[in-house]
Amino acid sequence: MGYAASESGSTEVASALAIKILIAGGFGVGKTTMVGTISEIRPLHTEELLSERGIGVDDTSGVESKTTTTVALDFGRITIREGLWLYLFGTPGQDRFWFMWDELSIGALGSVVLADTRRLQDCFAAIDYFEQRGIPFLVAVNCFDGARRHEPATVRRALGLGDATPIVLCDVRDRESVKDVLTTLVMYAVEGVFKASRPA
Amino acid sequence: MTGHDPGPLIRLFGLTGGRARPQGEAFDLVAIVTTVSVATERADLMLEHLTVLSLCRKPCPVADVAAHLKLPLNITRVILGDLRREGLVTIDRPRPVAQTIDERIYREVLNGLRRL
Repeated sequence: MGYAASESGSTEVASALAIKILIAGGFGVGKTTMVGTISEIRPLHTEELLSERGIGVDDTSGVESKTTTTVALDFGRITIREGLWLYLFGTPGQDRFWFMWDELSIGALGSVVLADTRRLQDCFAAIDYFEQRGIPFLVAVNCFDGARRHEPATVRRALGLGDATPIVLCDVRDRESVKDVLTTLVMYAVEGVFKASRPA
Repeated sequence: MTGHDPGPLIRLFGLTGGRARPQGEAFDLVAIVTTVSVATERADLMLEHLTVLSLCRKPCPVADVAAHLKLPLNITRVILGDLRREGLVTIDRPRPVAQTIDERIYREVLNGLRRL
């Protein structure tokens, strides 16, 4: 599948593949911690430099001069084998960087939407985004110390999610827990891919 | 951050001749960059170019190149676009997940995750 149809001269690049998984959710919900817990490298940090063209109309309105800002992107890596990597990208939390999401989500296998039950509304935007674009996602409820534990069914109702979307409880600081989240996502996402590509 | 020294920005855009967008076809954050020719004899190449050529002798995703260079992504992309135009690197095309992940790769990923 896939490789066979590639253009000539691409054989060497086709042997290396990087798969993207997004970690979305509100500000301070634990996205970077989650990436750091599972990544084999300290989360790498890069920045996207933006001119005002990309920023849109928001708090920079009223600023007369051309402004430039940066949006930080944190990402981690899991090497499956030589030439096959899983990349975890924490999505920028601020709404004004939505356009970055478009770029991040192209070709992404799926997304983890991290939720904090004390402020579930923070992940509504991410859920809407992935639902609209048909990107497979699951909701991982980060059980902060002292946060009241909610049953997944309660969270599902509160978020208005259908039965198909997996909801898992997790602790973003715990490696086994993050592994579970990612394995669940990969299984869920790939199920959808195969269902879509299988002839009816 | 506001009101910070614009010096670093000027230096960065100096690396790209003031360009904010790469030349040619767009490429993804995790597109794989592979060096075709190390071209150490090229006097017109900057240190950043040579660093990329050395790094990508082993195929390397764009995001890793940016992190390695400690440069913003779009600056990195301009540099990569230039190297591609010169025929010194190849950058693979973004492809839909359904085309890149077959059952074998999916199993490899799952097993790899479980092994962690």
